[in-house]
Amino acid sequence: MKPWQYLIGGLAVIGIAIQLIPNELPVVETNNPDDLIGSGVVEGEVAGILKSACYDCHSNETKYPWYSYVAPVSWLVAKDIREGREELNFSTWQQYDMMEKLEKLDDIAIEVGEGEMPMKIYTYIHSEAKLTDAQRQLIITWTEATMDVVAEEEETEESVE
Amino acid sequence: MKKLAILPIAALIGLLFLQANPKPEADTVLAFHPEAPALPAEVKAIVQQKCYGCHNANSKNEKGKAKLDWDALEAAKKSKALASMGKIKETLEEGSMPPAKFLESNPDKKLTAEEAATLMQWSTGKKK
Repeated sequence: MKPWQYLIGGLAVIGIAIQLIPNELPVVETNNPDDLIGSGVVEGEVAGILKSACYDCHSNETKYPWYSYVAPVSWLVAKDIREGREELNFSTWQQYDMMEKLEKLDDIAIEVGEGEMPMKIYTYIHSEAKLTDAQRQLIITWTEATMDVVAEEEETEESVE
Repeated sequence: MKKLAILPIAALIGLLFLQANPKPEADTVLAFHPEAPALPAEVKAIVQQKCYGCHNANSKNEKGKAKLDWDALEAAKKSKALASMGKIKETLEEGSMPPAKFLESNPDKKLTAEEAATLMQWSTGKKK
């Protein structure tokens, strides 16, 4: 055997071996009664953008492509989704308190406005998640309006108590 | 004689017009931002001394300015101000501001326990 054959063979062995390393992808849950979409604060185009550009990492409704089950991609996918859901999970939106909602909405405006989100590595493969400037502006305008609604709701609740 | 009778009527009408004049400037500004939570003096003093250097509208520290701008916060409407206060509270809990690296060369900028407590109480406190 020639040296390059050893190299290919070695890589193949490693490639198969790493598949045996345990790695758990975050579970998918499609029944989310506390989801943002359906809570009444978002609809139409903005809801559509959130669903197609954010929900893979920021909800329990992740759509895993086939390669997300193959190491080493699966490790990266698992880590990003775990962290994404921890930071902001639209599926449990209504469980956040008023301050958390305000902070998260403000963060959405900042991250989306500065082009930090959706992450480059994600839009590289998921071209439908690439946002135009107009779409970014739409999201920002929505966060600002929703922040007012959230702050207002709290006030009403307080005066009822 | 009749012309003289017009005078008091004219005066009355004149008074009505005066009533309709816009209020003084200060009141108008307040009316535009009735929801803006004013910064209490003791908070403002700490901020001025320990935070404002990086967190202001003209800061050369781009990251600091992007994260928090006290000038913008003072002018922000309630929902935005509350969001910022929530994040300030988290930062205080973590004790991550001012940054350790910055404090190495500016040890006098470290928040005293008392100052941190004052800021914490303000950032936690519900709006009046």
